[in-house]
Amino acid sequence: MPQPDAPPFDLAGCLEGVRRRDQAAARALVDHLYPLVIRIVRSHRPRRVAEEDLAQDIFLKMFTRIEQYQGAVPFPHWVSRIAVTTCIDQLRAQKRRPEFRWADLSEGEADVAEAVMTNENDVAVNDAMAAHELVHRLLDQLNPDDQVVIRLLDLEQKSIAEIATLTGWNQSLIKVRAFRARRKLRRLFLDLQREENS
Amino acid sequence: MKSNQTLDAWSRLAEAVRAVPDDRPTAAPFGFSTRVAALALGAERFKASLLERFAFRAISCACLLAIGSVLLNFSAITAEVRVEAVADDDDLVAVLLAE
Repeated sequence: MPQPDAPPFDLAGCLEGVRRRDQAAARALVDHLYPLVIRIVRSHRPRRVAEEDLAQDIFLKMFTRIEQYQGAVPFPHWVSRIAVTTCIDQLRAQKRRPEFRWADLSEGEADVAEAVMTNENDVAVNDAMAAHELVHRLLDQLNPDDQVVIRLLDLEQKSIAEIATLTGWNQSLIKVRAFRARRKLRRLFLDLQREENS
Repeated sequence: MKSNQTLDAWSRLAEAVRAVPDDRPTAAPFGFSTRVAALALGAERFKASLLERFAFRAISCACLLAIGSVLLNFSAITAEVRVEAVADDDDLVAVLLAE
């Protein structure tokens, strides 16, 4: 976290240094962008991939393509896009999707699922971890592109326009993906309800 | 369960997840930036050195091929030089008879 009285980060100078193959500038750039990249990685990475490995892949891609950066968008936006597309590629690479069954839920996850399905109780703060796990399990059932859209829309509350900027997809496609993903989620909750009652 | 209730179930779950802030540290771990910078800039230097190495090999091969082709065609070249030397001033018939 930057100190309040610290001078603003000289991004342009840093990029110039990286283009001159200056290691110190490259290190400073990584340190500066790490919080942005790691937040994206934590939101979208497949569970089996270590977050640091994925962050490293993203930074290596960034350095490989840095000559292509023309300044049309702010540099952090450009890096965010690389981060999101790298996460999507990783999600696509993970071909096998675990099954989603009531019997596989932990006690905490089952409690959370019941609470949100019955609308009788609020999800307790101490169930946050279980809620996170349940969300992961549910989203694992969606295809990678739909997963990313629904995470950005419903969990990070980004607008359609922001998602379009981050992913490079057009807005109609994003709306279609969101619709499809929510329909699938609805079906999953119905299946869960049926299993719970049986 | 009605369909709008199930949609609400997802909304409530998403809300529950959003309500808990992610307070994990976001600073780069110690040594991460050094490793990434070395990998990124080092990889490009390695590519450049490979290119240089192959370029030198290509020059060496080209030199060997040139020397080989000169050696193989040496007799033809010298014969041509001899004919050119003769063609200028000397009487060709006299030269041929002398040979």
